[in-house]
Amino acid sequence: MNESILEVEEVTKLFGGLAALDDVSFSVEAGEIKAVIGPNGAGKTTLFNVLTGVYRPNSGRVILKGKNIIGSRPDQITAMGMIRTFQTVELFEGMTVLENTMVGCHSRSKYGFLSNSLRIPRAMREERRIFEEAMQILTDVGIETRASDEGMNLAYGQQRMLEFARALASQPEILLLDEPAAGLNPYETGELSNLISKLRDRGLTIIIVEHDMGLVMGISNDIVVLDYGEVIARGTPDVIKNDPKVIEAYLGIGTE
Amino acid sequence: MARRKGIVETHSYRTFLIVAAFIFILPIWARPIPGEALHMDIVNLMVLTGIYACAVLGLNLLLGYAGQISLGHAAFFGIGAYTTAILCTRFTWFPTWLGVILGASLAGAIGWLVGKPVLRLKGNYLAMATLGLGEIAFILFSQLKGLTGGTVGMLNIPPLSIFGLKFDTDIKFYYLVWAIVLVIMLLTINLVLSRVGRGLRALHSSEVAADAMGVNTGSYRVKVFVWSAVLAGLGGALFAHFQLYINPESFTFALSILFVTMVVVGGMGDIWGGLVGVVALTFLPSIIQVFPEWIPGIPESLTNFSNYALVLYGLLLIIFMIFLPKGLSYGMERGVAAGRRSAKLLLDRIRAHD
Repeated sequence: MNESILEVEEVTKLFGGLAALDDVSFSVEAGEIKAVIGPNGAGKTTLFNVLTGVYRPNSGRVILKGKNIIGSRPDQITAMGMIRTFQTVELFEGMTVLENTMVGCHSRSKYGFLSNSLRIPRAMREERRIFEEAMQILTDVGIETRASDEGMNLAYGQQRMLEFARALASQPEILLLDEPAAGLNPYETGELSNLISKLRDRGLTIIIVEHDMGLVMGISNDIVVLDYGEVIARGTPDVIKNDPKVIEAYLGIGTE
Repeated sequence: MARRKGIVETHSYRTFLIVAAFIFILPIWARPIPGEALHMDIVNLMVLTGIYACAVLGLNLLLGYAGQISLGHAAFFGIGAYTTAILCTRFTWFPTWLGVILGASLAGAIGWLVGKPVLRLKGNYLAMATLGLGEIAFILFSQLKGLTGGTVGMLNIPPLSIFGLKFDTDIKFYYLVWAIVLVIMLLTINLVLSRVGRGLRALHSSEVAADAMGVNTGSYRVKVFVWSAVLAGLGGALFAHFQLYINPESFTFALSILFVTMVVVGGMGDIWGGLVGVVALTFLPSIIQVFPEWIPGIPESLTNFSNYALVLYGLLLIIFMIFLPKGLSYGMERGVAAGRRSAKLLLDRIRAHD
């Protein structure tokens, strides 16, 4: 298929003596939807935190587009084209839907304290561009009519969409989704599934941590199963569904 | 939406023009208020207001926008004051305006040195560290006798003069200070309406999310801290050239708390609110001072504002945090809106009655 855009190589992250991630390796190909599943406490969110530079792993490498990003700051990783959403919605309080989305444009804009204080024309042009891009993304996600409302005042499903919009504003190549369907009703989950497929068709690479097996099996090309910080299986949805180790560790009763 | 955003922006700049016009005409009708009890020199107080406003505008960016507390900004105010005072009294040829610039710059430089390590701390720890900074600065001002004149302080600081123009009266200083404040104000409005302003507010709300969205929060924190130190230093330097005399008592913990109280009372994260807070708290002592004189037989200790200033600031902080966390300006806005609503309701009822 395609070349790999992200390589996770032998990553280990210890908390005290406990290995939250134990020698985890997998690779992600450009344009695929990769799902990471596993029971609670399997290390999925820790994995995201390592990928996005929040945690530094004890050993191992993460290669993003050919460059080792271990030790890079979260904002630097975002600027390299990999951005995440959060399991618990982390919108910016007191900021409008539009402003929230505009913050997502941060990594692709550069004018700082001085230029903006002095309102130099180039900084003003950049502001204009940020505004227009953010509005366009809100339109894409379908919440542009709420642009001037405070983000926190949206219904939960729309808050999720806003988180999406904010992440997309950075024009990422890789989108990390941490349980995006959590708290959504079946209709909203369906919408979400459509949106994710649409983004993939546009060329985005997506890594998704999710408990909703219907969603995971329906959209992902490839699945990595974590249990106690170790990769216990990987493969296409069909392979995973029938893997005895996975059934034992996780799916168990879940397989219909 | 484009229109709506436009309205928000012009709203800020229109308020700016109104405030600027008001400040320009204020001294024309604001003569010292005569009478036995209330002797307030409005122009003089407004100069002090403007001086404090420099520091508070910066602190509001730090505390109100970026959400980083500092309980030691009196240190930067003092550094600004002492720098220019020392330079201009030691070397009589030293240009006073250069002293002011160097004072602000040194405050910024020390803000950077201190801020780099200290801003890794958050919340209570940052409060503690900045509190320590304020105390250290105060002790140095009092103990470096050869340099600062110790507790006696420094006398005979020359008045500010810029290219031959001497600012040696209240009214001249008034226009100078407020021209400076208005420029800072304009820069601040520009900043908070930009991506940097959004980045600071994002950092305030959720640091993890701000990081993840590409905001370099570490660098933003240091930059806003340094900028606020520069502005406090500038205020301090102007203070020295206005009072013409400084001693360590002007730069105590009480001043740091006064700055924080001004931000909180006015409205955190609201530039105009900050200004309201500065005006209210600078005029407060003069207004309060009046009351004890009306009460016969009141103890001497209660007639001096500085004796109970901290108690009052503390009380104000508590009251505003509980009842008006968004500050005075927001409260006034709400009050006006509520007044309008009830007036309209009353009118509607009267009409319905007819």
